[in-house]
This record gives sequence, C-alpha cells and structure tokens, in this order.
Amino acid sequence: MSGRTAIATRMGFREQLRRPFLLALLVVVPLFFITRSIAITEPTPRAVPLPGGEIAFTDMKEIHGAVMAAITVAFLAGLIGVFVMQSALEGDRRLVVAGFRPRETIAARLGVVLAATLVVLSVSLAVTAFDFTPASWLPFAAATLCVGLIYAALGALAGALVGRLAATYLMLFVPMVDIGVAQNPMFGDANPDLWAKLLPGYGPMRVLVDGAFSQTFDATSELVLGLGWLAGLATITVLVLRRAIGVRSG
Amino acid sequence: MNAFAIAGSSFVREHLRTPLTLLLLIAIPALFVLASAAVLGDFARALGGTVAGQAATALGAGWAAAFLAGVLGFFQVASSREADRRLSLAGLGPTRVAAARISAALVLGLVVSAAAFLSLLLRTGVEHPAHAAVAIFAFAAIYIGIGAIVGSLVSDPLEGSILVAFVFMFDVFSGPAMTSGGGLTAVMPTRKAADLLIAAGAGQSSPLGDWFWVALIAAISMSVAFTSFWAASRSRGGP
Repeated sequence: MSGRTAIATRMGFREQLRRPFLLALLVVVPLFFITRSIAITEPTPRAVPLPGGEIAFTDMKEIHGAVMAAITVAFLAGLIGVFVMQSALEGDRRLVVAGFRPRETIAARLGVVLAATLVVLSVSLAVTAFDFTPASWLPFAAATLCVGLIYAALGALAGALVGRLAATYLMLFVPMVDIGVAQNPMFGDANPDLWAKLLPGYGPMRVLVDGAFSQTFDATSELVLGLGWLAGLATITVLVLRRAIGVRSG
Repeated sequence: MNAFAIAGSSFVREHLRTPLTLLLLIAIPALFVLASAAVLGDFARALGGTVAGQAATALGAGWAAAFLAGVLGFFQVASSREADRRLSLAGLGPTRVAAARISAALVLGLVVSAAAFLSLLLRTGVEHPAHAAVAIFAFAAIYIGIGAIVGSLVSDPLEGSILVAFVFMFDVFSGPAMTSGGGLTAVMPTRKAADLLIAAGAGQSSPLGDWFWVALIAAISMSVAFTSFWAASRSRGGP
C-alpha cells in the first residue's frame, strides 16, 4: 500500500469512527433482528431442496436462523456502500486535485466498505451462532460474506449513479426482495423461481443453504456464479468511481 | 401564489428533481405488493400469525407505503436543515416552512400510497377499497412522522436510514396477525392501521373505535413531524 493510500484509508476510517452511533447501530441491528427473528419463528417442519439434489428435513425456525444473517448483512452493507461512496464523491475529487491518484482514493474507500461489511458479518455470524449451528461453517460464512460484498458493491454503484435518496430506496428494497423473499427457502416450494435465478443473491444464497444444511459441499457452480457477480460488480464500481472522481485537465 | 404554496411545491420538486426518484416512488410500492403477495401469508404462518390471502396482500401495501414514507420523512428533515433555516430567516418563518414541508411530505406520501393501493387493486382486488385506501395512507402518514423524528435526532444519512429501517422491521415483526401475539404488538404505532387494512382485505368492516385510534395516531404523528420540521428550520440565534 502506498503512503498516500494509507493516509486516505486512515482518514476514511477516522471519518467513520467519528460516528460512534453508527458503530452501535452496526452491532445492535444484527443483534436484535437475528435474535428476535429466530425467537418468534415456529418450529414448523419443512423440507428444503439443496443444490446437490439432496433434501434437508428441517424446520422454519432453523431456516429463519440460516437466512437472517444474510438478509441483515445485505441491507446494512448496501446502505454502507451508498453513503461511503456519497462521501467519496464529495471529498475525493479534491484529493485527486491535490495530487492523489484516483486508484489510491478508491482503494481507501473500498477498504472502509470492506471493513464495515466485515464488522456487520462478524456480529451477524456471532449472534446467529447462539441460536443456529450450520452443518458446515466455512461455506455458510463465505456465502454470507459474498452476499454482503455484492450488496456493498451494488450500494456503492447506486450511490455513485442515482443520488442519495434513490440509492437509499433501492438499497432498502432490493435486498428485501432478493435475499428476503426470492432466495428465501421459507417461502413457496423452498426452491428459487426462475426469475430469482437472475438476481445477484441467487448464487451465494444457494451456497449458504448448502452450508447451513449439508456437511458436504455441492454448490460449486453456484459459488462460481456468486463470485462472478461479485467480480463484475466490483469492477463496474471501480470504473464508475474512477470516472466520477477523476479530474480532466483543461 | 403565496409564499407557502411556492415553498411547498418547491419542496416537492426538490424531492423529485431526478425522474428516477419519482419512478421509484411508484415502482417500489407496486413491486413490493407483487413480491409480498405470494409470501406474506407464508411468513405470518412461520411466525405463528394468522393473516393470509387478500388480507396479507393488503398488509403488504401498507408496509410498502410505510417504509418509503419513513425514508422520505427522514430526508425531508435531515437534508434540508440549512436551506430551511435560511428560508425561515428570509421571512417565511419556521411555522410556514414546517407547514410547507408537511404538505410536501403528505403529497409525496399520497403518491406512494396511491401506487401501493392501485397495485393492491390490480393484484388481488380488495373488498373494501375505500377502507384500504385510507388505511394505506395512514401507514404513510404515521411513518412520515417516524422519519421526521429520526431526522430531528440524527443528522447523518447513513445512521438515519438504518434507524428508519430498524423501526420499520421492528414494526413488521411485531405487527398484528404477523406473530402469535403478545408483548410489543399492542404498542406499535401502525397496529390499528394494520387492523383496518387486514379487515378491509378480508372483506370485513372495522369498529368505529379503530378508525378513531388510527386518526388519533396519524394526527399525533403529523404533530410530531410538524414540530421536527419547525425545530429544524428555527434560527439558532447568532449573527
């Protein structure tokens, strides 16, 4: 990391740490939602088809425990993406005028988004662990992280392209529909519909369901699909930001 | 046109200055109603609740109006403090600035409620359309107040958005007929509006007492919103 990137990263973190209420929210919101959601769900029996073709016989309480972390991480990471990028658009152009390279400021902002997503992920997984134990932690945690990063990138893109208010509406609505409804095995026949497969949450949420209820890993193609979405969105985000904060001569 | 009407219409235009925002205010309630129609009954059953069918879809329309109105109320207060103070100092006064803000928020709340209501009519139909329309607008009015309270307490947009979403999710998870009841269900601000909406969706009339409570809660919410707008636009003294 170059000296200037380190300075920009440090300033980015300092900006977030000036808002202790935000840190409190990033801890309290997952703690409350996940705990309460699991607590109020009835243990009604339910069969869940897994990516490898296996069927897991479980109950609604367990399924809600499995998906709530991803829902919480998606919507928090999405909002973080929106507002960190809004802040970048306001301040980083000046840094570039002052001699920073666009890639240095972008790396710093992405570092802040990644760190905030990891905070939310850690809290969410720790809270989940009190009430629900996935069959296989590694794919479960990796899939939740992938969901968070995809939505952080979508939030950053929305923040850069459509303005603060519209981006906020989008980041409250899209994760709710994608992760909370379309990919949620609590609804319908527990298998995502055709239209749901076109959404960014499909791949990682199938990996999450596999990790939650199967000790063997059978979701390779879904993992690749999720990583593809993440790589594509991250690339587009960097390009859009580079264009937004870059300074043209003249 | 008087200064109040000019300010009110300017606040609406300010909010809708990008066409995408207007599109989202119409499309999100419609899509929310369509998406939730298929799953809200399942969700309520999973939580031990009893709401199902048309009543569940009707409740989804209320929630759609609520969360958009909450965010709207928050941004109306939080992102316009400086401008409102200047308008107030320039002669409009905090009372007329607050009244113009409330009017603008209610117009936008009406747009959102109309989109949710029409989506509900087209998706499943509703036995008591007038009751449902009033109840959906009550959801929006109550959440404009909630958003305004959050905006008056928290100025940071990220913190405020998360807080509004937190209240909204808390309300959804505690709503009547969504869970097996008890606890916080009785004290949530949208409880009576949800009762009206569920009854309208299920083709039943609501007792007069429920209408009274909804009107009272919406009026309290508007008063709180007015106070928040007034406080935000009031000059803090100084040169």
